[in-house]
Amino acid sequence: MLLVLSAEHRAHLGCLPRAGGAAVGELGRLALEQLRRGAAPRACEAAARKLDIGVDTIQHGVEGLTYLLTESSKLMISEIDFQDSIHVLGFSDELNKSLLQLYLDNRKEIRSILGELAPRLPSYHNLEWRLDVQLASRSLRQQIKPAVTMKLYLNQNEDQTAQVLQTDPATLLHLIQQLEQALGEMKTNHCRRIVRNMK
Amino acid sequence: MELSPYAQGGWRVLGDPRRFPRRPFAALLRAAFRSLLEDPQAALDDPDLKDIDPTVLKHCHAAAATCILEAGKQKADISAISTCLEDCKLDKERIEQFCTEYQKNKDALEILLGSIGRSPLHITDVSWRLEYQIKNNQLHKTYQPSYLVTLNVENSDSGSHPDVSFSCTMEQLQDLVGKLKDAAKSLERATQM
Repeated sequence: MLLVLSAEHRAHLGCLPRAGGAAVGELGRLALEQLRRGAAPRACEAAARKLDIGVDTIQHGVEGLTYLLTESSKLMISEIDFQDSIHVLGFSDELNKSLLQLYLDNRKEIRSILGELAPRLPSYHNLEWRLDVQLASRSLRQQIKPAVTMKLYLNQNEDQTAQVLQTDPATLLHLIQQLEQALGEMKTNHCRRIVRNMK
Repeated sequence: MELSPYAQGGWRVLGDPRRFPRRPFAALLRAAFRSLLEDPQAALDDPDLKDIDPTVLKHCHAAAATCILEAGKQKADISAISTCLEDCKLDKERIEQFCTEYQKNKDALEILLGSIGRSPLHITDVSWRLEYQIKNNQLHKTYQPSYLVTLNVENSDSGSHPDVSFSCTMEQLQDLVGKLKDAAKSLERATQM
């Protein structure tokens, strides 16, 4: 699958050959920092001074590289496809090699950053449990009522919530049985076949 | 087991064969148990009770219900109940009638009283869904199995409550099931003690 670069992207990346080899490394670093932490105008200014290039050029270069890296990582394009995609830019072999290396070195990290942007439900974090026996209440004395009290920790968008839940012994066994069935599903032929064929 | 003066007053009327003949007495006992355990509205419609003055009927019904609930709460035995009713001047036959009716309904009463009260959200059921993620608009070729688990919960006060749903990976689900199994094992050991 080839990456399609618009005229604007190509223009942004067009500054790279003029900037030189060292610049590509610097711009690559800036692009990644931007992905990890967000835009950093000061860093761009510093790089502009160090490399003796205009701030705007640096900015465009970083944007162009960011787009190139994120789109390639998102689509998980192969080495060959990546090389073919940047071929249209008409860069030198050395520059192409540097860009490819930049892509391969950082692909995993970029994918994990992109993964955090996906829509997410609260996800399981931990479960604590406690065994209780209710002995009496205002409406009934002399009870022996066993219960399992649990604290379910869930993560949602960097917040962690803890919910207190309770269940009785019979329901607990039912929960275990149902969830074990759920776990067993991944091992069935049907699921295995799907996983094998979708790669 | 003790009853309030109001309840005792009601029982004294109930114990009086002139004010409460046999059939109405039996009918009132049945009505009292039914109104607590089945339907609070319909109970006093029994034709055997139509000759009793409504105010008296209300007083006696309240007295009977109070006695039933108090006995249930304290898990009172027959002798305790009998002593209490003797103090209200009930004759042996009527006491026995009450105790028989009480024994019949004792278990249902205990369940009812035991279910009243505050407790954390109670899990009643679980449903799950297994999905295989292929891509999203931010990331393609994700290729990961993921579970969506929904715990159906009930509130002790209002009955229903929005369910607790969460997603998890296979490892996380294994962790969860492992912990639940620990709890179950610990329960089993506790019941053997």
